[in-house]
Amino acid sequence: MYIILVYDINTKRGGKMLKLCRKYLNWIQNSVFEGELTNIQLENLKADANEIMQEGDSLIIFNNKSKKWLNKEIIGQEKSSINNFL
Amino acid sequence: MKKSFYLFNPGRLSRKDNTLKFVPVDENVNEGQARYLPIEQVANLYVFGSLDANSALYNFLGKNGIGVHFFDYYEHYTGSFYPKEYLQAGQLHVQQSLHYSDPMKRITLAQEFINVGAFNMLKNLKYYQNRNKNTAEEILIIEELIKQINHTTKVDELMGIEGNIRQVYYSAFNKIIPTFPFNGRERQPPTDPINALISFCNMICYTACLDMLYHTQLDPTISFLHEPGVRRYSLALDVAEIFKPILVDRLIFSLVNKKHIQVKHFRNEVNACLLKESGRKIVMKAWDDKLTDTIKHRKLGRHVSYKHLIKLECYKLSKHLMSIEQYQGFKTWW
Repeated sequence: MYIILVYDINTKRGGKMLKLCRKYLNWIQNSVFEGELTNIQLENLKADANEIMQEGDSLIIFNNKSKKWLNKEIIGQEKSSINNFL
Repeated sequence: MKKSFYLFNPGRLSRKDNTLKFVPVDENVNEGQARYLPIEQVANLYVFGSLDANSALYNFLGKNGIGVHFFDYYEHYTGSFYPKEYLQAGQLHVQQSLHYSDPMKRITLAQEFINVGAFNMLKNLKYYQNRNKNTAEEILIIEELIKQINHTTKVDELMGIEGNIRQVYYSAFNKIIPTFPFNGRERQPPTDPINALISFCNMICYTACLDMLYHTQLDPTISFLHEPGVRRYSLALDVAEIFKPILVDRLIFSLVNKKHIQVKHFRNEVNACLLKESGRKIVMKAWDDKLTDTIKHRKLGRHVSYKHLIKLECYKLSKHLMSIEQYQGFKTWW
């Protein structure tokens, strides 16, 4: 499943969330991630995120069957490529 | 699905916040922007550039079952970081050894590897025969040679036939990819572009097979066709025999015929011809696409990637060793 994840979270907990998301997904912009996950990985991610989040925090996950249904257009600077050729 | 990551740039890979951090370094030792590789998405790492890493990183990779394959400046495969086996199975291990030490059982498996490998080579030739490349002569010779396979009683004999088949097969390359002249296979070091390309791709195929073996209960050091040596994972060579025609050769044909790979992508050194970095990147990209490409599996009735196909082959092998089902190698039908 192809995931786009965005969060809006109190700065106190922002760092924790960033570290968690980096484990599962590619960072593309401040508080935005994308990548391919399995169902179980996604459930794990959600469970871990729940531990971190408190009142007023928000996390949105867009999911898609496959990357091919996703059009991605970058305007301006690409903050980080998600290429697997480094 | 987990992905392979290919590190071409020199840099430092480290463990950071329970995930991987890669900091590229340029010639003047200036650090570039850090990239975090999500550990949950990493299947394995291929290291082509020079990499700084410490044992904490390897401990971490080992715990996550991620193998690292290293290639030197001359793009030879130098070795792998192979994490601790996590799928041990004593019974299978015993059976695998028994199949190796019993000459009858060993030769049946070895013959199957060669048979299927040769079959897949023939498929390639027939494909190009249909595209007016006139490989009829080679097809006939190989078909004759294949008949001898089942009469062999010793592995050496079998290897001899395999060598003959390959020689005939490679002689057809001049017709299939006329842009690069090819006068037979040369190794250590390859001296012309096409040999360099074959060497490089075979090596990657070998690492892909090793990767898949890691995720099965099989012991990669006990092989049937190739003689198990020390310090090498020879079972990966056996499995690669089946997949070389399907993955490597087809990849080479399409890369060369579509002019993705050209003479400018090679560099000539003393007595050797090697792929330049730009060429290596093109090949690795195509390889990665190929491995994740899917086909509809006839028996399973669903789409599987080529990478998974290698793993299925390992499963079939384990079934054979445990006497559940006779091993039949993967034959292409297209």
